[in-house]
Amino acid sequence: MATKRTMTLNLTDAEMRALENLCEKKDLNKTALLRQALRLYQFVEARIEKGEKLFFEDDRTKEKAEVMML
Amino acid sequence: MSVTSSAVFLLNVETGETESAELWDAITEQQLADWEAEWIPELLGAIRRLHRAGVPRHAWPQSRHWDWRKKTATLTGMLAHPAFSLVCRGLTQGMMILDNTTKRCRLPAQAGKNMVYVEYVENAPWNRPELFDPPRYRGVGSLLVRAAIESSRQEGFKGRIGLHSLPQANTFYARTCGMTDIGVDPDPGYSPMHYFEMTQEQADAFVEKGGKS
Repeated sequence: MATKRTMTLNLTDAEMRALENLCEKKDLNKTALLRQALRLYQFVEARIEKGEKLFFEDDRTKEKAEVMML
Repeated sequence: MSVTSSAVFLLNVETGETESAELWDAITEQQLADWEAEWIPELLGAIRRLHRAGVPRHAWPQSRHWDWRKKTATLTGMLAHPAFSLVCRGLTQGMMILDNTTKRCRLPAQAGKNMVYVEYVENAPWNRPELFDPPRYRGVGSLLVRAAIESSRQEGFKGRIGLHSLPQANTFYARTCGMTDIGVDPDPGYSPMHYFEMTQEQADAFVEKGGKS
């Protein structure tokens, strides 16, 4: 297993609530959820850097909305 | 690249003895060279034998189209796509690339939950009983499934994994691994592959029995 390093993270109350809500919803602990967020962010960034676009599609109407990454 | 290896064992079919092997948490240049210099010639030789024996093209190993160098180049450094390889006697015996980020479970009991999806997994040609009789080593597929389960546990997904199976491997995932066969994926991009999923309980049972059939 790869070596892991510890860091301290400072969050506002609202951010902590959002994190805790997501942890409960996804059945993950805080570390696992934040690692997932990092993986997803890196994945999306890599695709966008290659010139691809990120869309959300309404399953019913098939209407697409592009997610703008800044 | 920093590579961590774990000690594992494979069964040498010819001698009936177990042999020491290593599970690496990476696919390195060594694996890609083995694939090009050792796997591909053996695979082509096996396909030639199938062709000469009159075996129809649709029954040939479908992984013959896979380009591990291209796959690895695309995914290197991506946290969402950890890779593994199995080495025995200095030769690569199996390779696997996972997706631990973008796929969700489909089984009703765990629908929507995070899981580790086995994006690509392949056994060296000489270990595949449908190509070589007898195969050289047994246990490669089970060890790689075990690594996928462990990766799922480390991510906090409790052993949940999923994959699309090439037709030749359906029996292995259903019987040996105890995964649930959800059937042919309706997505035409995956047809005619079956989609298999493993629950936490199935993962625990597979690990408990040591990954043996």
